[in-house]
Amino acid sequence: MKHWTEGFDDDDAGESLVRPYTITGGRTAPERDDLTLITLVATTSAALPGNGRDRRKMQPEHRAIVALCERPLAVAEVAAALNLPVSVTKILIGDLIESGQLRARPPLAFAQAGGTPELAILRAVRDGLRKL
Amino acid sequence: MGYANSDHGDAAPLAVKILIAGGFGVGKTTLVGAVSEVAPLRTEEYLTHAGVGVDDLDGVDGKSTTTVALDFGRITISRELVLYLFGTPGQERFWFMWNDLVNGAMGAVVLVDTRRLDVSFASIDFFESRGIPFVVGVNCFHGVRDRTQEEIRRALDLDPQVPLMLCDARDRAAGRDVLLALIDHLMAVRTSGTPHSAT
Ligand SMILES: Nc1nc2c(ncn2[C@@H]2O[C@H](COP(=O)(O)OP(=O)(O)OP(=O)(O)O)[C@@H](O)[C@H]2O)c(=O)[nH]1
Ligand SMILES: [Mg+2]
Repeated sequence: MKHWTEGFDDDDAGESLVRPYTITGGRTAPERDDLTLITLVATTSAALPGNGRDRRKMQPEHRAIVALCERPLAVAEVAAALNLPVSVTKILIGDLIESGQLRARPPLAFAQAGGTPELAILRAVRDGLRKL
Repeated sequence: MGYANSDHGDAAPLAVKILIAGGFGVGKTTLVGAVSEVAPLRTEEYLTHAGVGVDDLDGVDGKSTTTVALDFGRITISRELVLYLFGTPGQERFWFMWNDLVNGAMGAVVLVDTRRLDVSFASIDFFESRGIPFVVGVNCFHGVRDRTQEEIRRALDLDPQVPLMLCDARDRAAGRDVLLALIDHLMAVRTSGTPHSAT
């Protein structure tokens, strides 16, 4: 089995990058840096067909995200579904937030602070796990 | 639960995550798959881009960029709460380049294989040094229970407050119990204030 760290120094490591960054129009960094792997994104009513946004600038991947996120999905789930790297996915999601077609729910602040979540959340997770 | 968020109402639930860590081949993906409600999903990230904040195209065609894969699963706790489990790529030195992976984790499960305890040392060091609460799951490959928990603790130089338990990463109930042990530990940490006793 090939481990992911194999080939870390491969000369051709960059080759697969070309297509993803074509999708983003060459952008390699999202305009917003607040999207995380578990930021949940959901389609807004502005994204419904007929809600006259200019869709011509949208890549097929943008449309795919809008369709996927009719139920809220984490950024990581969108990336997995589109088979795109997380950072590329974040750029596309950022576009759609910008145009009002997606909205994002960030994870709680304890996350950034490195603290522990409040007891109410821990209890809820515990109760949910017990039902597994 | 009233998670006030004027921007978003209750349109989206709240997401939390737990990391499933440990050395190469200890059963991380197996555990994620055993407890997840969906088959483990896989995604990639460009490491150099992820951690250091790229604002130009320099790295894109260079040799400095690589991709790492991580797999993850999902457990819908309630309408308001979703738990994501991230099986972290094996080599912790790369995690420093990927803050998004570690940031926002409630805590971690470090899996160990008793035949190769050493491959999980780095994970334990990582969470200890970052003060991220974790529990240790001893994945009993082929039912191998050749060492006592006390021996394993000593070999891992584990703080007495860090829970350690035997498990079978393929088994849903066993995986759930490891996660529950972590939640209990988090509650204890919250009460006592420190993830590990000060050293
Ligand atoms: N017999 C037995 N085999 C297991 C157990 N857990 C995992 N395996 C097997 O061990 C191998 C490695 O498990 P993975 O879940 O892929 O381990 P991993 O930690 O995700 O590995 P990497 O991502 O490559 O570091 C697989 O072939 C699993 O089927 C277990 O509890 N018992
Ligand atoms: Mg794996």
